[in-house]
Amino acid sequence: MSTLTFEAVSHRELTRVTATFASGNHVVLGGEQDGTAALIELAASIAAPALGRVLLDGKAPFLQAAIRRGIAALCAVEQLPPARTVTDALTTALRARGDARSARAVLDAGGLGHFAACRSATLSPREQRALAGLLALTHPAPSVLALFEPLTLIGILSEDFVRQALTRATSAGALVLSSATRVEDALRIGGTLSRLERGTWLDPSNAYQPLAEVTLRVRTPEPRRLAARLAEAPEVRAVEWSGGQELLVRGADLTRLAEHVVASARSEAIHIEALRCQPPSLEALTAARAAATQTWYERAQREQRALQAGTEPPLVQTRGIH
Amino acid sequence: MAVGARIARERLRGVVAPLVLVLSATAVYALAVLEHRGGGNGAADSALEGPVFGFGLPILAYLVSERVCDGARLDRSVDVVARYGADRRAALLGVLLVSAASTALSAVLLTVSALIGAHTLHDASWASDLRASVGIAAVSGAVYALWFGAASLFGKRGGGRKWALILDFLLGAGSSALAAPWPRGHTRNLLGGMPVLDMPQSAAWLALLAIGAASVALSVSRTPS
Repeated sequence: MSTLTFEAVSHRELTRVTATFASGNHVVLGGEQDGTAALIELAASIAAPALGRVLLDGKAPFLQAAIRRGIAALCAVEQLPPARTVTDALTTALRARGDARSARAVLDAGGLGHFAACRSATLSPREQRALAGLLALTHPAPSVLALFEPLTLIGILSEDFVRQALTRATSAGALVLSSATRVEDALRIGGTLSRLERGTWLDPSNAYQPLAEVTLRVRTPEPRRLAARLAEAPEVRAVEWSGGQELLVRGADLTRLAEHVVASARSEAIHIEALRCQPPSLEALTAARAAATQTWYERAQREQRALQAGTEPPLVQTRGIH
Repeated sequence: MAVGARIARERLRGVVAPLVLVLSATAVYALAVLEHRGGGNGAADSALEGPVFGFGLPILAYLVSERVCDGARLDRSVDVVARYGADRRAALLGVLLVSAASTALSAVLLTVSALIGAHTLHDASWASDLRASVGIAAVSGAVYALWFGAASLFGKRGGGRKWALILDFLLGAGSSALAAPWPRGHTRNLLGGMPVLDMPQSAAWLALLAIGAASVALSVSRTPS
């Protein structure tokens, strides 16, 4: 049982990320610009965080070779150890992690035996990633498997091989942390979903926050009277008037709030010069978006399970997240 | 350590490193021939103190260090294997070992080229000069490599290496206490030139070895496992 902890980590795109992952399958939704590449790099102990700490079972893997030996990783950009041929490069990597197997055996395990004699310098970035992915997925006993977009390897590696390796690692008690840009890919990988958005960490618990409050800006020549009338309404959570001709009216539902403001103004014969919605904060939007994604993901997972079990999927509408 | 040595060797592989060495040896040989034709008796000393140990060796050592570290800091240059679980300190020692061996070999080749150019084949002093200089070349080359390796631990991209080269040229050229921490003054002393702090030659050997050992100790102590 391993526990990987990020303590107030700021590194490249990541902003004060605090998260804990226990053994099992975890998938982080988000693109490279959201910080998933940096997260995987830190989980793989390839870099030390600029601020904060990354700990595996209470110890910093970046500082301890013995711990790193149990971490297998696939990063956004990969570079094999310098060597003339792929076999030599893989041999260096295998010796570095104390793996006695031959490079040829590892290549054959992933069906990539044809790469054995290839010159390392002629490999494309995608092939380098596939070979690094192969090294990670064939780790004999990983404690952590940190994978950036593992499904992008499919094509060079077979989907069955990738999925079996993930299942094998999870069932052997490893901590599998993958990233995915698309919700569909996250669903295929499975596991607990979290989200990174522009470097901000959203774990499943706070991803449920709905867009909690909306604010209407109401411009009227009689703000005091309108405020007094609105204060009585249950739809209105708060009315803010700081002098001038503008009122800030807060509530939960935008349509009902606007209807109520108009109705109140009409009943008191108060003229409304302008009525507009104040945009919500970025944090509130992010949380709402994450909640929508989470809901979609869970529904899709339920449907998938129901299909696998041969039962009728629940009648739910799923919509793409934009 | 073997993994570190393996990546350093791979980084030195290719035509560029041998080409630079051959060109340097040719240049040193040509300068030594000119010294021999112009000066006669002191040609070997002039060729060794100037072109070989004064310029060629420090610059070659710098280039070798830059190359084995892949243009990065010494400790980060082994990240490519440390990520798989290799101990950075052990890998770094492997890198330093290859760097020291390559630079020592290069220094010996430069020395031999200079001596061939500065002597005629019938010179009686040829063999004795060769015996005395090859040892100095090997030790100085190795020490320079270790020295540049340790210096590359400073700076975001190992810029300390460049400063070590500049300071060795500037401060090592003197004979005061300021020249003591740099390999240049002690190498010059061993070649029969001006000593640093009036040290005897035996002390210059010790000083060079101490600089090498301190460089290794610094490299290991500043690098996490």
